[in-house]
Amino acid sequence: MTLLNDEILSFVGVESPEVEAPNPVESSEVRRYAQAIMDDDPRYVAGEGGEAPIAPLLFPTHMFRAAFGSPDVLSARAEDPDFDGGVALSSRGLPDLPTRNLVRLNGGVKVDFFDHARLGERVRMKSRYASITEREGSKGAMLLVLIDTDYYTSDDRPLLRVQNTGIYR
Amino acid sequence: MNDMTAPRLFDSVAVGDRIELTKGPLTEAHLMRWSAAMENWHRIHYDHPFSVGHEKLPGLLISGSLKQQFIVQLLSRWAGSAGWLVSASFQFRAMNVVGETLTAWAEVKDLSSGADHGLVTFDLGIRNGAGKESTPGSGVVSLPLVATAAVVRPAAGGLA
Repeated sequence: MTLLNDEILSFVGVESPEVEAPNPVESSEVRRYAQAIMDDDPRYVAGEGGEAPIAPLLFPTHMFRAAFGSPDVLSARAEDPDFDGGVALSSRGLPDLPTRNLVRLNGGVKVDFFDHARLGERVRMKSRYASITEREGSKGAMLLVLIDTDYYTSDDRPLLRVQNTGIYR
Repeated sequence: MNDMTAPRLFDSVAVGDRIELTKGPLTEAHLMRWSAAMENWHRIHYDHPFSVGHEKLPGLLISGSLKQQFIVQLLSRWAGSAGWLVSASFQFRAMNVVGETLTAWAEVKDLSSGADHGLVTFDLGIRNGAGKESTPGSGVVSLPLVATAAVVRPAAGGLA
């Protein structure tokens, strides 16, 4: 069974718009995040070397939430028993692939770490389809879709490059 | 694990060194706290009837986005104040469900040194209380060669 076709392949290299997180790095959000991951690094509160407090390394990846005034998807789909609760951008601002009835699984992550985001900073992101290939697995054919996402501050200081592997089958 | 002040030097590390970080048992409250902190409302992490009945999953799933935090926390804490976690990669090969205790582990696989820093390559993963591996991968940490060296971070020339 062949899943990969020219239409899907044409998405390789397609980029998302640059998006800025709706809020800057805020102390209360960092506190909640650090408590949720059970990480008591004192630099999240006090900083280090006279610099502003830092956020956990992966914090920028979770800053891109529904901005104030966005449509309320949870209310709109409250009567839908099949609604899985997903409101995040699994495609990270990229156009959806025409994979039709295939189910997407989270295959894995690769992260390059460049710096911490700091209290008060604004964070931007931009994604691209890095590659799309087909493989034959134990459960049949599958598409491996690699999405690269760069996270950086509003003054272009790199924070992270994240490569997500999506498995479509 | 929590000492961020003592600099760790490259020559103090040997192939085969092993570190671990255990979290759990992870309860429904832990999962809900994480979902709320990141504003992820996927029902498979807090709605048991939906997760089991609709999605045919074995229970409430511990999200991969929480599990990856334990790996990053393990390596970045180990790197200490003078080191830097350069990269980490892992695959989500098996599910973990509420009630499990998870141990992130890493073992030094390779050492290489440059002019001003050394690179420590780890094999890593996450195992549950039964010893089942769910998140195998690898990571790289940069450490200084001498105590006076500044933290060596990777160049980010690849970013747009």
